[in-house]
Amino acid sequence: MLQAEGLTRRYGRFTAVRDVGFGARAGEVVGLLGQNGAGKTTVMNMLAGCLAPTSGAVRVCGADMETAPGDAKRHLGYLPERPPVYPEMTVREYLRFCCRLKGVLKADIKAHVEEIIGLTGLDEVGNRLVGQLSRGFAQRTGMAQALCGDPEVLLLDEPTAGFDPLQAAAFRKLIRRLSKNKVILFSTHLLPEVQAVCDRVLILHAGQLRLDHSLAAESAAAQRFRLAVAAPGTRVLSPLRALPSVRRVREDGSGAKETRVTVETSPGGNFQGELFTLLTGLGAPILELTPLSDSLEALFMRVTGSPAQEAP
Amino acid sequence: MRAVYLKELKSYFYTATGWVFTGVFLALASLVFYLNNLLPQSSDIAPFFSMLSYVWMLLTPILVMRLLAGEKRMMTRPLLLSSPLSPLSYLLGKYFAACTVLLLAVLLSLAYPALLSRYAPVYLPEVFTAYLGFILQGCAFIALDLAVTAPLKSTMSAAAAAFGVNLFVWLVSLLSASASVPRAVGEAVNFLSLYGRFVPFLSAQLSFSGVLFYLLFCVCMLALAAGAEYGGRMRRT
Repeated sequence: MLQAEGLTRRYGRFTAVRDVGFGARAGEVVGLLGQNGAGKTTVMNMLAGCLAPTSGAVRVCGADMETAPGDAKRHLGYLPERPPVYPEMTVREYLRFCCRLKGVLKADIKAHVEEIIGLTGLDEVGNRLVGQLSRGFAQRTGMAQALCGDPEVLLLDEPTAGFDPLQAAAFRKLIRRLSKNKVILFSTHLLPEVQAVCDRVLILHAGQLRLDHSLAAESAAAQRFRLAVAAPGTRVLSPLRALPSVRRVREDGSGAKETRVTVETSPGGNFQGELFTLLTGLGAPILELTPLSDSLEALFMRVTGSPAQEAP
Repeated sequence: MRAVYLKELKSYFYTATGWVFTGVFLALASLVFYLNNLLPQSSDIAPFFSMLSYVWMLLTPILVMRLLAGEKRMMTRPLLLSSPLSPLSYLLGKYFAACTVLLLAVLLSLAYPALLSRYAPVYLPEVFTAYLGFILQGCAFIALDLAVTAPLKSTMSAAAAAFGVNLFVWLVSLLSASASVPRAVGEAVNFLSLYGRFVPFLSAQLSFSGVLFYLLFCVCMLALAAGAEYGGRMRRT
């Protein structure tokens, strides 16, 4: 649905983006991560057809951005870093204008605008001037603009900037809802956001794509847990090791009343279910069960070569 | 193109721009009408338009300054660039919206010849050709100013640049009439002058060469504007 091939952008002698290539299918939510100046916005602009690549190609739903820009852009919704809103228009007027730009049929515009307003939670400000909106609502209006014409590919550059926690939660919900039949690519600095909604993460560093990592695959892979149980090790350890989903158990410290271990599980197993059944049978309450995995932050630090922060 | 045209047209009157343009135009037109027709008690409309044609130099920058530079200043340009609209149709939508505001203001000035016709005979073909030439000249100034402001990012610098170029066009046409300028040069400048081309329209002549000149001038300036506006971002290096 969205295909970038060897995207390179030079400004004179400076190369902002070098040989970036990836593809995304319908239903995928892809997070684009990178430090400031890594080239995220340049990549976004090239994908949206706002900036011509020095070399490389962009295809949206099979249409080439260079040879058939009109067709490619018809399938595309783009929210730039700063929402492209006109302060003198009301939210409804603005969205009607965006629908006309996207070629939505005149008869469908009204219903389509109301649907988008409902989706993005703009009902209460629909008739207010965009220039009078708070930053969060202006950002939501920008998001609504990207949805005009029901595009198959959504490109969102820092979409949660200016959102309060409630708006950010609503945004995550919206992304999950929209992602069923669309490609959503969004850039952000907020790693938890990527972890919460993305199936895949692309990490850009110094204009190059350094990592194309599937978060969905990661969650299906073997996992480790830190487990604390209110029972002595002699009672718990043997049955725990015998569970079908458990691959390895390492003792971190056991006492007369408490057992602390790190458990490594097999991929695809139902560790939590088995553990619950076991410990209920043993009458041993769980004090702690924490999944341990390479955090996205650690991955990001490793890929970008930044020094990892020490744990508090 | 229609979407951008309607949006720009509304924006002119949602903001002060359209009202300021129309108001200042009518105020200046009233002054010129008073000086050329009421005060000398003349029904000759030609001197009125001859003097009024200089207002474009002052007023078209007001119409044009926010059209392209404003999009950059407000960072709304990606909306248009990422839409399926071709760059030329987006530019034409803006151009025709500015021309429509100009036309509305000019239509309001029909009140002057109408007023004149109540007290003295007015030669209608002269009024028609003068209005035609006046509108074409205004549209040509808008196209010129669009080309000048296309690479600029600030509305104030766009207004200053447009006014500067309009002033230059006027000064050049003024100097071409000077005796110290070689005749061939003077004629060449007059041939290409937005002011010189207006003269036949003032004497009730429907100058087809003048109409063609103004139209071609607009096409060339719009092509330049499109090149300047999109060339930078769409160039591969």
